[in-house]
Amino acid sequence: MFDWLKPNDVLWLIPAAPLLACLWIVVVGHVVRRQYAHRPVVVAIAISTALSYHLLLNVVPTGFVERDHGAHAETAAAHEHAEHVDSDTPADAEHPDVPEAHTHAADASGPTAISTTLYEWIRIGSEASPTLSIPVKLRADAMTALMLVMVTTVSLLVAVFASGYMKGDPGYPRFFASIALFVFSMCMLVLAGNFLLMFVFWEAVGLCSYLLIGFWFKKPSAAAAAKKAFVVNRIGDFGFILGVFLIWVTFDTLDFDVLFANPLAIRAIVSQQPEIFTFICMLLFVGAIGKSAQFPLHVWLPDAMEGPTPVSALIHAATMVTAGVYLVARCTPFFILAPKAQMFVAGIGAVTALIAAITALTQYDLKRVLAYSTVSQLGYMFMALGAAGAGTNLATLAVTFAMFHMFTHAFFKAVLFLSAGSVMHSMGDVIDMRRFSGLRSVLPITHITFLAGALALAGFPLLSGFWSKDEILSIVFEATKGTQLHSIKVMFPFTNYHWVIEFTTGTYYTLILGVGLLASLMTAFYTFRAYFMTFWGEQKFPEEAGHHPHDAPPAMAIPLLILGVAALIVGGIAGPTHLYGNYLAQTPGLPAGDHLQPNMLMMGISSVLAILGIGLAYVCYVATPAIARDMKSSMSPLHAFSQSGLMLDYLYLRFVVLPLRLLAQIAEFFDRWVIDVIVDCFGFVPGLFGAILRPIHSGYVQNYAMVMLIGLVVCLVSVLRVLAGTL
Amino acid sequence: MKWSTENGALLVPLALGWLAIWWLLPREKGRSRILGGLIGVAALLALQVTLLPPAGNVVRDGMFYLFGGAAILSGGLMITDKNPVFAALWFAVSTLSVCGLFLVNSAPFLSAATIIVYAGAIVVTFLFVIMLAQQSGAANYDHRAVQPVMASVLSFVLLGSLLFALQEWGGIDGKASDEARANQFVSLEGTVQANVFSQPPGTNKAEIGSMRVLGRSLFSDYLYVVELAGTVLLIATIGAIAIAPRRSQGTL
Amino acid sequence: MTSTALESQLVVGAILFALGMIGFLTRRNLILIVLSTELMLHGVSLNLTAFGRYHGNPQGQVFTIFVLTIAACEAGLALSLILTLYQRRKSLDVFLWGNLGEEDLPILSGGGATPPSKVVDPNADLPHLIPAGAAPKSPATKA
Repeated sequence: MFDWLKPNDVLWLIPAAPLLACLWIVVVGHVVRRQYAHRPVVVAIAISTALSYHLLLNVVPTGFVERDHGAHAETAAAHEHAEHVDSDTPADAEHPDVPEAHTHAADASGPTAISTTLYEWIRIGSEASPTLSIPVKLRADAMTALMLVMVTTVSLLVAVFASGYMKGDPGYPRFFASIALFVFSMCMLVLAGNFLLMFVFWEAVGLCSYLLIGFWFKKPSAAAAAKKAFVVNRIGDFGFILGVFLIWVTFDTLDFDVLFANPLAIRAIVSQQPEIFTFICMLLFVGAIGKSAQFPLHVWLPDAMEGPTPVSALIHAATMVTAGVYLVARCTPFFILAPKAQMFVAGIGAVTALIAAITALTQYDLKRVLAYSTVSQLGYMFMALGAAGAGTNLATLAVTFAMFHMFTHAFFKAVLFLSAGSVMHSMGDVIDMRRFSGLRSVLPITHITFLAGALALAGFPLLSGFWSKDEILSIVFEATKGTQLHSIKVMFPFTNYHWVIEFTTGTYYTLILGVGLLASLMTAFYTFRAYFMTFWGEQKFPEEAGHHPHDAPPAMAIPLLILGVAALIVGGIAGPTHLYGNYLAQTPGLPAGDHLQPNMLMMGISSVLAILGIGLAYVCYVATPAIARDMKSSMSPLHAFSQSGLMLDYLYLRFVVLPLRLLAQIAEFFDRWVIDVIVDCFGFVPGLFGAILRPIHSGYVQNYAMVMLIGLVVCLVSVLRVLAGTL
Repeated sequence: MKWSTENGALLVPLALGWLAIWWLLPREKGRSRILGGLIGVAALLALQVTLLPPAGNVVRDGMFYLFGGAAILSGGLMITDKNPVFAALWFAVSTLSVCGLFLVNSAPFLSAATIIVYAGAIVVTFLFVIMLAQQSGAANYDHRAVQPVMASVLSFVLLGSLLFALQEWGGIDGKASDEARANQFVSLEGTVQANVFSQPPGTNKAEIGSMRVLGRSLFSDYLYVVELAGTVLLIATIGAIAIAPRRSQGTL
Repeated sequence: MTSTALESQLVVGAILFALGMIGFLTRRNLILIVLSTELMLHGVSLNLTAFGRYHGNPQGQVFTIFVLTIAACEAGLALSLILTLYQRRKSLDVFLWGNLGEEDLPILSGGGATPPSKVVDPNADLPHLIPAGAAPKSPATKA
């Protein structure tokens, strides 16, 4: 019978419910009762959500280990040892030792993941000992459960919102079928028990993203944006699959349980090939760069805003783009063995956060501001994940803080996007902030929810974003204490001259911390710039809005309010109380770590920065708008530079797209004038035979009768010759 | 060369007949039809001399030569006439002549039936259609023949083969005295399986073509075939009605 | 009954058959083509009755009756078909019905066909199929 505590009964139902809803709509729902196509999807996602909470609270904790004080002490001792080694020994020697210290602690009493295998998908080799065996295996541990809860909760609220937002669209059933397919794929991606399965659904969410960005496929910009997202994601996915190949070549398995819970095997590999993890992690991170829109592949995300706004909220803010963060967090056991890769992760995160924040400063499209803000916040998460490069003792905290920021970000970014969608809904699909203002009194609910989300995003003290961002800044601050020496040799081509840059880990992370603080200030500024431009100032509507703009209907307002409240308080509930961190620490494979005491310095700085940013925005856009205008005119080249997304799209067009197009034209020329000619020659031969034989088939009955007569005469004369024996 | 001199009696009328037909076939520039007809008659006379000797019965021979000659001549004129109306009329003459030959073959019922069906119904219907379709007179496509040389040559080669076979094994010109050779060509015992209603064949030659014998054979030995033929007629009727254009739509 | 009578009849039958064949092969008038086949049937009927008399049984004549029946069917169907064809093209020329090829291919044989001047649109009431291999013309360009 169905046992609610047995993993194999709970796990498969979570993705199965949205899949069934998707199939139902595809087969039946798009014909029958089209305007009610949202119902099966909402019900299915609600089932998944309930089961995810059940999984979080009841099922996964069965695999947890009670970390008693003795074990904790032992772990702490191991840490001290590790730090001791870290500070004293040169870089290369430490690799074999550090994991050893952790493995003993982890092996003694590690938490276990629950898993269930549905069927074997690929098997190469004999049944007993296959060379390659890829089962469809669902696996859940603490990280999975937290991720699932976030995904399903946001999906449920967005689906309810979309049932009001998309009402009347001709593609209503198609929209909900895609949403259901996305939720299925995302759940499977999170629940995947090996790398290949994860890759499959990694692609599947990319497909759903493509389908939903191009939902209004008759709009050329939407079709182009969908194509761009798909192509850019392919680049990242190529890195991911190469990483998966490398993992398989190195370890002969792709199974998470084996890879992450058996560090002894990893240790053996490390002693032979210490650099292999750097390669694996870099390749996996390339996948994350594509999916999570990090520099330099972040250009697809702002364009993806061509899709319907609920899609932007769900896929391109809360869930799919965080898959990259999830991937890196999931692979932490690899990443702690590759500090260089982690530093690279942190660097990319910082660069992305800065670039996206600069670009967001000058955007006029409300959704684009939010999109760049998403890119920037994802950069923050990678910054946190990379902070562990300063020392393995920071790994668990780094993962915890990145995941926690992702968790809070999902809520406040979803509410921001949905509020933007509500604005669009009432403004007749106009999203340019210059064309409307002063919507405070017209859209009171949207105003409140947007404000809640904006405050949380800006990191206003004691709200969600404050806690999670503060934690990220503190972990980076911790990382600045690293003392390891690195050097980069810059070679100048065709000369013997080279230039060696030497820096310590601490210097590197100090730089990143500075970038983080700067981006934090800009985040507050641009968020409230968008807020003030939209909701303050004189009341102004575009003509598309009609005479009487109305606030969100209940189907849209209720999810908005729920998400708004969640955006305000969820960080405060789960962050400072260590609820989230303690739970996440039970993930198998994560090295045991201890809590970081709240860093009062960072808290103070980030609070000041947030309030400063908000105040600057108020001054520039409400109190004296002349300042903004003057600044814009006095720094117009800079303004244009920022508005064009640091000209990255232009550079891509110039240096990637145009050469490729030239290559395509050469190929087309070759195809048309060389290959086609050869093929035409082959085609000419039967045509020639046909031309010779065609006169026989004249179509005139008398010609055919003549041929019959010829045959008859020939036969008759031959018979007569034989019979007569003469002739 | 030796062969051609040996069979000159066959080759000469064939050559003359081909010349006549080729001369008469429709062309843009008209040719003397009388000349062609004369050549044709000459060919028939040559054929009569070599291949159609009189059997001895004056009445029968007279009727045979009359009707046979008329059938062949009118057939030749039918296929060569530029005016389709005349061609149809020549066809009617040919049919009547063939009916005369039926009489010679002691088939009076068949003769009458053929006259009724062909001359009375089919030819009239054809004439009707021709006149409706060609109210403006002969069309230019009636003035030209398709592949005239090749068609006539090949057809005459076929005819020559048949006549050669008849000459070699058919017992004409005294060669048929050899019964064994004749039996290669025609089997004397070719009868259908007799049933209770059937009569022994050939008991009274005068009765062969009579209605009684014919009817008895038709409705006993060939009962199923008669039913089938009736069904075919019915189907053809339905088909003709279905295919023929409606009056309201067309001009006919 | 002497055998000579049989063979003479067979000779006449063969000649009629050959004449009918020449007519079938050379004439361009649809009605005359059908009439020529009737002439061929006459030759065959003559053969049958001659053999019937030679053997002294009625089977030859019975068979001729069936030939007559089939000839009547054939004539009726042929006439109705000819009428239909005539109504499409307003002509009895068989060359107008030799177009087996696709529309865009040149006609390589039967050069003697000259469409009558009366015809307005020969294919007006025929179903228009897309010629295989060639790209269909879009209605936009036609309009």
